[in-house]
Amino acid sequence: MQRREKINLMRIDRLGYLVCGLALVGWGMRRRSIARSGAAGLGGWLLYQAYTGYNPMFTPLGIRVNREPGEATANETIVLDQAITINATREELYRFWRNLENLPNFAPRVSRVEVFDEIHSRWHIEAMNGRAAVWESEVTRDDPGREIAWRSTHNEVLNHFGSVQFRDAPGGRGAVVAVHLEYVSPAGSLGAAVARMAGQAPERYVTDALRRLKQLVEIGEVVTTYGQPAGANRTEGVAGVDSSAH
Amino acid sequence: MKATCWYGKHDVRVEQVPDPKILNERDAIVRVTATAICGSDLHLYDGFVPTMMKGDILGHEFMGEVMEIGSAVRNLKVGDRVVVPFPIACGACFFCDKELYSLCENSNPNAWMAEKMWGHSPCGIFGYSHLLGGYAGGQAEYVRVPFADVGPIRIPAGLQDEQVLFLSDILPTGYMAAEQCSIDNGDTVAVWGCGPVGQFAIASAFMLGAERVIAIDRFPERLRMAAREHGAESLNYEEVEIAEALKDLTGGRGPDACIDAVGMEAHAHDGVGAYDRIKTAMMLETDRPIALREALMSCRNGGTVSVAGVYGGLADKIPLGALMNRSLTIRTGQTHVHRYMRPLLERIESGDIDPSFVITHRLSLDRVADGYRMFRDKQDECIKVVLRP
Repeated sequence: MQRREKINLMRIDRLGYLVCGLALVGWGMRRRSIARSGAAGLGGWLLYQAYTGYNPMFTPLGIRVNREPGEATANETIVLDQAITINATREELYRFWRNLENLPNFAPRVSRVEVFDEIHSRWHIEAMNGRAAVWESEVTRDDPGREIAWRSTHNEVLNHFGSVQFRDAPGGRGAVVAVHLEYVSPAGSLGAAVARMAGQAPERYVTDALRRLKQLVEIGEVVTTYGQPAGANRTEGVAGVDSSAH
Repeated sequence: MKATCWYGKHDVRVEQVPDPKILNERDAIVRVTATAICGSDLHLYDGFVPTMMKGDILGHEFMGEVMEIGSAVRNLKVGDRVVVPFPIACGACFFCDKELYSLCENSNPNAWMAEKMWGHSPCGIFGYSHLLGGYAGGQAEYVRVPFADVGPIRIPAGLQDEQVLFLSDILPTGYMAAEQCSIDNGDTVAVWGCGPVGQFAIASAFMLGAERVIAIDRFPERLRMAAREHGAESLNYEEVEIAEALKDLTGGRGPDACIDAVGMEAHAHDGVGAYDRIKTAMMLETDRPIALREALMSCRNGGTVSVAGVYGGLADKIPLGALMNRSLTIRTGQTHVHRYMRPLLERIESGDIDPSFVITHRLSLDRVADGYRMFRDKQDECIKVVLRP
């Protein structure tokens, strides 16, 4: 787990905050009224955030920004870390993951992975709006039994890079699978915060992927309610809520 | 098939829905022969539980006959008569290994929702909101049972449905509530709430060695049942001030253990009740922890407060000072039903307990809406409703 940076606004957010803050203050100072004073106060707060680069409201949502990422083609990324403990050895888990064709079995929205060689693969994605998307991925580091790192290329959906580490859990209680992911958020920290509150951020897909990996390895199936009956003329069980079901 | 569908606050309907199918290799389909309305179903009925969707099939207390099994189920066969535990558990994870089945790490497909609300997710539960998995429930003609090789217990011929149905939830729940009290011979136990879970908690407290049990409720028929069936003493909280009365009854010291079998929709007739009603109405708290507060204030120094009543969210004015300064222990949890089914089935077979005494109403599934209303409003001295599909 890396140290939490005291800056969680991207440059695009800070620019937006600066513009909005100045506009609000300008409007608020023109005449005296309660509404205008409030607007000026809010504008002042936005300007202060633009200056410090820190929005305290984003901290509980876990929004972290890397301002100097090593690999992304953009110059700032949103950072997330997720881990799960699984009753298996790290070597078994590494082997399962390293065969990238297994990914669609547990990664939500990944429908197919074509593996070209040790390094290169192409991922087929069901995007949020129901459209299909494709990106290519290359393995940038491979430490058998311990770590796989990758980055995406030709990616218009989710420009990202990341790694997955496999570690022994303490006390002989299986292994920890820890994903570190950094992705480009075109709508800045604010967009990432909104997506996270709506439960539709990449964070959610990583959590679900890890949980399904655990289910496959520990119990041999992915739990689901997709296809069960319901009233009110709902056709596909709980589709829409269990949106990651396939 | 016919199934009980949730449509909103105080709106449940029996509807025709498609029959359930096997979705995974370890599933079974059970034809329901008896099912019941649980006190915790009333939290859904009253709209206290979030993440419900129109059309959700309710019911987590049910039993029946195995109609179909998935290819990986080896311990059951078609035609077996089974009772199904309300928590869904995989039988293989860290918590199932520890027999903490209601904390199964693998059975909630919507774990992310529970994590948002509670930090971490417990197991999935039949018919109990999408937060707890969104599984279709058993107040229906048929139900799909995941991990059928782990949960369902086979029932020997010779026992009636009504004697064993409550192994699915309320009998183990009452038993676990009493077990959590670590009762020593001669202890006095006070039980808030004399609904079915409270009744079984009282019976279990006596089975585990309590000398006295003090039952607390406001409905005379429930207090009468506690006295008649188990020999409990009773306090009606509309007539006496509970904390004072418990001091009087226990020589000033307080009960050795207190059981909250009420949960988040507790009532009170005084200013405290009004306070919590206003706060929940204004969405400043989600739960009304009136019984829990009283239990914490009443329990003797160093005693145990066992919470079987269901809480969902946030509550206010919990007396943490009493908890800390008086060395109290709180124990709670959704019941680890799988752990108790076999030993409690043995107690039923041996005649230690016949749980059917709590049943006051028997209805066909078509009349489920009446059942919910009667149970909620305690009409006609309703204590427990059993439904026959």
